[in-house]
This record gives sequence, C-alpha cells and structure tokens, in this order.
Amino acid sequence: MARKQSSDTAINTQRRKLLKFAGASAAVGGLGLSAGLARASEALSGSAPGEVLDIAIIGAGLSGLTSARDLQRAGCESFVVLEARDRVGGRTLNYDVGHGEVSDVGGQWIGPGQTAVADLARELEVDTFPSYYEGKTVMLGGDGQLAIDLEGTFGTDHALGEQLSELSRDVPSGAPWTSPRAEELDKLSVGDWLAKQDIKPEDKPGWDGSIALTGGALPAKMGLLHFLSMINSANSDYFKLDAIKDSAQGTRFVGGAQLLSIKMAEELGDKLRLSCPVRKISNWDSDVVTLHTDQGTIRTRQVIMALSPPLCQQIDFSPALPANRAALQRAWPAHSPARKTAMVYSRPFWREKGLNGHIFQVNGPIIWAYDNSPVNGEVGVINAFVSNANLPSDHNQAKRALAEIYAQAWGDAALRPVAYHDQDWGKVDPWTITCISAIPPGFWTTHGEALNPPSGNLIWSGTETADIWAGYMDGAVRSGHQSALEALNALRLRSRS
Amino acid sequence: MKKTLLIGLPAVVVLLLVFFGQELVDLYRLQAYLTESEEQYQANKGAWPHLTDACEACHGRNGSSLHQGYPSLAGQPEAYLATQLRNFANGDRENPNMTPLAMTMSEEEIQLYAKFFARQPAKDNRYFEADVQNRERGETLAESGGCAGCHGDRLMGQGPFPRLASQGYDYLLNQLDAFAEGERNDPTGMMNSLAAGWSPEDRKAIATYLAGLPTE
Ligand SMILES: Cc1cc2nc3c(=O)[nH]c(=O)nc-3n(C[C@H](O)[C@H](O)[C@H](O)COP(=O)(O)OP(=O)(O)OC[C@H]3O[C@@H](n4cnc5c(N)ncnc54)[C@H](O)[C@@H]3O)c2cc1C
Ligand code: HEC
Ligand code: HEC
Repeated sequence: MARKQSSDTAINTQRRKLLKFAGASAAVGGLGLSAGLARASEALSGSAPGEVLDIAIIGAGLSGLTSARDLQRAGCESFVVLEARDRVGGRTLNYDVGHGEVSDVGGQWIGPGQTAVADLARELEVDTFPSYYEGKTVMLGGDGQLAIDLEGTFGTDHALGEQLSELSRDVPSGAPWTSPRAEELDKLSVGDWLAKQDIKPEDKPGWDGSIALTGGALPAKMGLLHFLSMINSANSDYFKLDAIKDSAQGTRFVGGAQLLSIKMAEELGDKLRLSCPVRKISNWDSDVVTLHTDQGTIRTRQVIMALSPPLCQQIDFSPALPANRAALQRAWPAHSPARKTAMVYSRPFWREKGLNGHIFQVNGPIIWAYDNSPVNGEVGVINAFVSNANLPSDHNQAKRALAEIYAQAWGDAALRPVAYHDQDWGKVDPWTITCISAIPPGFWTTHGEALNPPSGNLIWSGTETADIWAGYMDGAVRSGHQSALEALNALRLRSRS
Repeated sequence: MKKTLLIGLPAVVVLLLVFFGQELVDLYRLQAYLTESEEQYQANKGAWPHLTDACEACHGRNGSSLHQGYPSLAGQPEAYLATQLRNFANGDRENPNMTPLAMTMSEEEIQLYAKFFARQPAKDNRYFEADVQNRERGETLAESGGCAGCHGDRLMGQGPFPRLASQGYDYLLNQLDAFAEGERNDPTGMMNSLAAGWSPEDRKAIATYLAGLPTE
C-alpha cells in the first residue's frame, strides 16, 4: 500500500487516510469506522434550502467513483457521491490478512483488453502482478484425486472453446440484442448448446464450473446470447475469458482491487457521503430531482445511477419509471451472490511441493480454490469460490470443512490456518444482491432496449451498462467515464435552452 | 475438462497392478467417483445439463442445504413448492434472488422443479446446534400453536403446508418475522396471526425447535 513512503509517521498518516474509506473489514487498531463516519453530522451539500447541485452520483463503487474523478478533473465542483455502505469499493473488498497485506474477497482480476481499468490503475499508481498458477492443480472427487499441471488454463476443450469464440463474433458485447442472430440465439441456454456437443462425463463438471464462475449460473439457466456477448468482450476469444495465463484471471492488483476506489475516494473530501443510502427518488422527470437519503434530502439537476439494476429496484421512484425500464429492473436476474472465502496460512507451503494451490472439486462445496497470496508470497492465502449452500453457514464449521478438503489435497499442514474470512455477498448486507448478472435466455430480446436510455434526468450507469466488459471492473470504469460525459453534456444542453 | 482423465478405467486398473502408487490409487478413486456420480445424476435427473442444477448452489445438492439462511427444498410437498414459485413470479412473495428467477419459469418448468425437489429425501439439519432452553420453549409454543394440524405429522409437511422439521434456522426466523410484519402472507392469514402473536424471543425459540427437529 504505502510502500513508497519513507518515514513511519508518513506511512501511518497515509494508512489512516486510506483505512477511513476501506471500512470495517480493513480496519485495524481501532481505526477506520469511526473516522469514516465522522462527517455524518455535518450538513449535506445540496441539502441547504434553495441549493441545487449539478450532479449527484449514487454508488461509490468503481463506476461511481470514476465518474466523480472525471467530473472533478473536468472542473465540475457541484456534485456529491452518495454511498449506502460505510466503505467505498462496492463489489471490490480487501480483507486484511495481517502484516499489512490483503486478500481480495470481491472482484480482483484483470486481463487482456481490459484497458480502461489498467489505465486507471496506472494513473492512481496501483501496481499489478501475475496470478500464481505454476505447478499442479488438484482435481478432487469423493476420496479420489489427481494432481495435474494445467499450464495456466482451466483445461477447457479447445475445439469447443473455438466454436464459442466463432459464434461470439456476431454478438456485440454492449448490445447483444442487436445481433443479427439475436432472435435465434436468445431462445437457447448455454446448456442447450452444450447438450449437442457430445461432452464426455469427466468433462461435464469442468463446464459446470466454468460457466458458473464466468456467467454466474449453471449452463441450463445461462442465456447463450448473453454468454456469447461476454466472449465478444474478450475480443471473441474464449480463452481470454476462461483461463488464467494471458486471460481474464491473469493479473492482480498490489494492495487489492479495492485500493483503486480507496484512492479515488481520498481525493473527494466531503463530496463523498458514506452510510447514506438513497431510499427514494422523486421528480426525476423534472428540472430538479430530489433524492431522499438516510441523511436528509438532496436536490440536483442530473443523477448518475452507478449501481446495478437489482439495486435500482430497491429504490422507490416517484413518479413510477417508464414501463420498459421498470420491467427490465424487475426481471433482472440476481441469483449469483458469490460466496468467496480466504484461508490464511503462515506461508504458501503448497508451493514447495510443486502444487499451485488450485483445486477443482466435483460435487463439493469448492467450485474453484486458488493461491491468492500477496505479491511476494509473504503469507499464504487460499481463496475459494464456494457453493453458497453446500458449505455450512457457521464460520468455524465452514473453516473446518474447507481446511479438511485442503488437507486432502495438500497434506496436514492445511489443517493449521491462521485466519479465515467468509463473504457471502448475498447475505452480508443488502447493497450487492448479485455479483454478476446471469442473464437468462429470452432476456435481452425482451428488455435490452431499456438498458441504456436515460429516464428523465437519471443516467443509468454501473458496469452492467458498459460497451465492453460489462459485468467486470473494466466495464465499471468504462461506464463511469461515459456517464460523466453524458451528465456534463446534459447540463450543457440545459444551459442553452 | 482435463484430458488426462480420459484414460479409461481398465487401463488404470492394469497400471495399478504394476505400480500401485498412491497417485494411481487416487486417480482410480477419482475415476470411480466420476462414474458413480454420472450414473446417479442420470438416474435422478436425466440428461446433463439439467435445469435443477441451477438451484443447487443456494438450495444445496439435491435440495438439501447446509446453510442456515438458504432453505432446503428436498422433501417439500410438491404443491407447496409450485405455489411458492408462482408467488415469487407474480409478486405475492418477494425475494431479490428468487423473484426474477421465478419470472423465467413457465408453468411446465415450475412443475418440473416442484416434482424433482419433492422427490428428494429430506435430510437432517446436522450442522445446527440448538440451544436446549430455547428448544424446549419452542417445543411448548409449537404444541400450543397446533402446528402439526396443518404442517403434518412430525412437521414433515403435506399438500400446501411446508415441511418445517430440519429447515435452516436463519431462514425459519426470517419467515416468522416476515409473517409477523405482514411482508409474507399466507392465504388464510393463519401464519400471520400466529406469528404476530409471538414475541421476537418466541420466534427465535420456535425457529430453534424446528431447525433441530429430526426428519425421522
Ligand atoms: C465475488 C466477486 C468476484 C468478482 N470477480 C471479478 C474479477 O475478478 N474481475 C472483474 O473484473 N470483476 C469481478 N467482479 C465484478 C466486479 O467486482 C464488478 O463488476 C465491479 O466492481 C462493479 O462496479 P460498479 O461500480 O459498477 O458496481 P458496485 O461495485 O456494485 O457499486 C455500487 C455501489 O452502490 C452502492 N449502493 C447500492 N444501493 C445504494 C443506494 N440505494 N444508495 C446509495 N448507494 C447504494 C453499493 O453499496 C455499492 O458501493 C466480481 C464481483 C464479485 C462480487
Ligand atoms: C442465489 C440463490 C438462489 C438460487 C440460485 C435459487 N434460489 Fe430459491 N431461494 C433462495 C432464497 C434466498 C430463498 C428464500 C427466500 C425468502 O427468504 O423468502 C429461496 C426460496 C425458494 C423457494 C421457497 C422455499 C420455501 O420453503 O418456501 C423455492 C420453492 C425456491 N427457492 C426454488 C428455487 C428453484 C427451483 C431454483 C432453481 C431454478 C432456485 N430456487 C434457485 C435463493 C436461491
Ligand atoms: C391453519 C394451518 C396452519 C397452522 C396451524 C400452522 N401453519 Fe405454518 N403455514 C401454513 C401455510 C399455509 C404456510 C405456507 C404459506 C404460503 O403458502 O406462503 C405456512 C408456512 C409456515 C412457515 C414458513 C415455512 C417455509 O418453508 O417458508 C413456517 C416457519 C410456519 N408455517 C410455522 C408454523 C408454526 C411454528 C406453526 C405452529 C405454531 C404453524 N406454522 C401452524 C399453515 C399453517
């Protein structure tokens, strides 16, 4: 994090500032929460009688904060960012593993073609490093196993990957419903397509795992049109999406992905309001929109809605939203609340045995476990995507169950973790609901047209609206840039009339 | 997935005899497990990939959840399951995960899920550790509330009345709170008036009793 600082005090001041925005999860030594919330008592800008802001941004995830940063850099000062949680970063979250190191329990990787987020990281001086995959991955099923070097791939069948890549060329990433083959492809699930490919029994768990990790649902409920649009984001190359090496799981951020948001928040001062959920939006179709928050009301000309459709669905709109937008929000799939765990060991002991710390498990709680140790491997961290209801909810029971599976793969040293974090994004709070959008068959051809057009003075933003890499951190940054431009242009047009 | 797995079973057995290394035993077991689970899958569901696969992350394998906050569906009465899916889809029951998912289901698909999960054997909630005092208080409350009259013998469910025995604790408590606050409604209003009559502590005691109640 603050590696470039020289003196101890400088490090501490810097760290204190950053922790303020990181929230409780990263708070150590009594810092964090209280500092971050101190401003709740001060008056909100935009809340004074007669005062009307130019722009309000709802959501301090990567998208909303990117918009805020662009506005600030463009010289716009009349804006505010409203965030429901007591921290920034939304679907990115750093878990403190000790020794000043973190492990991501939310979005974490970037890959080829994800240039918007890569550029942002460079500007913010956040370094990147490659994911660790050298060595053997362990496949577990029942009491059997196999250790195998997958060479940075997920072992997916090459010919089928090529076929998917080919199909994806016809499906524009940001607007799949405009594909010339939309009608035909949107009738099918990925499962319908796989069922015709004569897949060997031993390959089926691999496809289940891949589609669940990338798309957010098992094949039978995953829309083919949407899945192809995701491959299209990866420059129509399935292996740029579904692999580690040279792919979307290949690169990590030093200090964790949440650091991007923390650094952007630092520049915002009191323009950022934490613990300030927006409950209701009225008069969105008039010149002055009113936002009703837990810290009072705010009046503004433009609103950037930097949050996913299911989160918009929790807000009360008055008057009601246009029918097509309301229908899109209501139907938007929200059944992919990833449960991600981090098991911390004093060192990455598996590496010495030629193992890469990766596990795929058939019919178990683990979808994919992987080495998520910090950059120099000072501590050993195993993260895992686990199947929400196939691992006990109790913290200690879950920790024990996972440690035992790790021991099956790597030996008894795995039974002695030093810490464990368990994050079910659907259960910790109501401010994510779903991590990715597992768009089902039929959705895009019915609702696609309602995704982007603004409703009155509401500009729909967030990663789900991005042209490329929708659903990813890169898409969040892209949507943030785009919405800042749209908001400024809307103000310009208004000042003319 | 992994091409190395393509080695056929007989070949592995032969190799086993020659080397008998641990790795080969492990591989043999993995192969055996894959074959066995493929057969079970076919017998229980039919051809892969099956629609019910999409439910198992949150409702557990074959509908038995190990998580106190995600409900088990296994062994629930078919009629009850179908009603709940229709209720999610038409807005009579609200849940951010289930509502949009249920909206994707045709009536035929609803029947398929309801039949499938009703057919799966109910399992005990073995990870739940009940507080004894609470459990006893819950049992008394349940008996005076006449739950078994509707929810069936041993509260295993029947027709439109769900199985309560061994359901997840957090889920049960949420439902009782939702009935009490009128966020969830049952058609007769019975559950609403029962739940509204209990204190928050009563509801915890009842959820404790139900979550710990064995399925046999
Ligand atoms: C477990 C997991 C793993 C992932 N892995 C990856 C990955 O490896 N690579 C990748 O690129 N992407 C990954 N993603 C996706 C990535 O994290 C998201 O695409 C990205 O962070 C979304 O940013 P956003 O700003 O659009 O939305 P969000 O981060 O969801 O931001 C929305 C913000 O709005 C706030 N909010 C909600 N409701 C209100 C309200 N009513 N009022 C005020 N504020 C509100 C929320 O608290 C939140 O801060 C992953 C996500 C998860 C959960
Ligand atoms: C993202 C997680 C998730 C997925 C995936 C999911 N569900 Fe659910 N489901 C839930 C939650 C959470 C509830 C409890 C809702 C509540 O609290 O009211 C629920 C409740 C239900 C209920 C009512 C249970 C009861 O006892 O009343 C049924 C029936 C159901 N789901 C069926 C399904 C089916 C069928 C599928 C697959 C097509 C599925 N669910 C997939 C999360 C999920
Ligand atoms: C008159 C019949 C009746 C009686 C008596 C009754 N219930 Fe119910 N209960 C229902 C019905 C009907 C539902 C399902 C409502 C629906 O369709 O949403 C239900 C649902 C529930 C649920 C939600 C279960 C789930 O899976 O979502 C709980 C918990 C519950 N009842 C507890 C109790 C308890 C405890 C008692 C006894 C103290 C009791 N009920 C007595 C009719 C009854």
